[in-house]
Amino acid sequence: MKVKAKEKNGIVKVKVLAKHQNIGAEEAEKKKKEANFITSVIAKVGDAVVFDMNGSGFMSANPLYKFKFKGKKGDKLEVTWTDLKGETKTKKAKIK
Amino acid sequence: MRIPKFTSHRKEIMMDRRKFLGLGLAAVALVPATAFATDFRKEKPDAWKAEKPADAIKALYGDIKPEEKGVKIKAPKLAENGGKIPVTVKSDIEAKSVAIFQDANPRSAVAVWTVQEGGIVDYSITMKMKGSGKITAIVEGKDGKFYSKVLAIEVSKGGCGG
Repeated sequence: MKVKAKEKNGIVKVKVLAKHQNIGAEEAEKKKKEANFITSVIAKVGDAVVFDMNGSGFMSANPLYKFKFKGKKGDKLEVTWTDLKGETKTKKAKIK
Repeated sequence: MRIPKFTSHRKEIMMDRRKFLGLGLAAVALVPATAFATDFRKEKPDAWKAEKPADAIKALYGDIKPEEKGVKIKAPKLAENGGKIPVTVKSDIEAKSVAIFQDANPRSAVAVWTVQEGGIVDYSITMKMKGSGKITAIVEGKDGKFYSKVLAIEVSKGGCGG
């Protein structure tokens, strides 16, 4: 997972590029693969949640997420995704 | 069966097991990050099963009458690759949640965001659409009202393996 966070005028812009096949149920059946997709992406700065998204099998493979929140340079952003199988991946990035 | 040495450790295992057995999942040792945020997949499962946007919206938000204002959807009018369509939803409305639906895939719900206190509604994703269709964005306002926007897009090469 790649995370880039940049602050300007008090607003932090974040780009998250996740590596995941994101295959929904119908697609999985067609491709004879197991359905698995990112069901949740949560980003935090310390204990504060700044991004909270639930996804589906209709997100693209290796999805790109972008979001904004009020924050400042130097803070540490932590992004975690969870998929249908319960696997998780976390990436930390410093807000530049 | 292994008997854990320390009772506090055992309580932890018991708590995790109860949480996850309740959800019908196989035993997972870690407490997921979603435990601390709204998980729309767990709380509104029917919203993710519905085929048509109207049904998905009803399952997620109930019988709402959204006003078509205050919400912008940015997406290519003609998506070359249906497997990776960049879509952005923006709104200045003070929101509780935001949801995106489409009517080209076997089921409608694509993503739902929980908006934090003082949060900014400016979310981008890359999504799939099997063919041309309409993208619907709903913003749940803190004022208890709902706002929507519908955008029709064309897809030249369908995603979802179809």
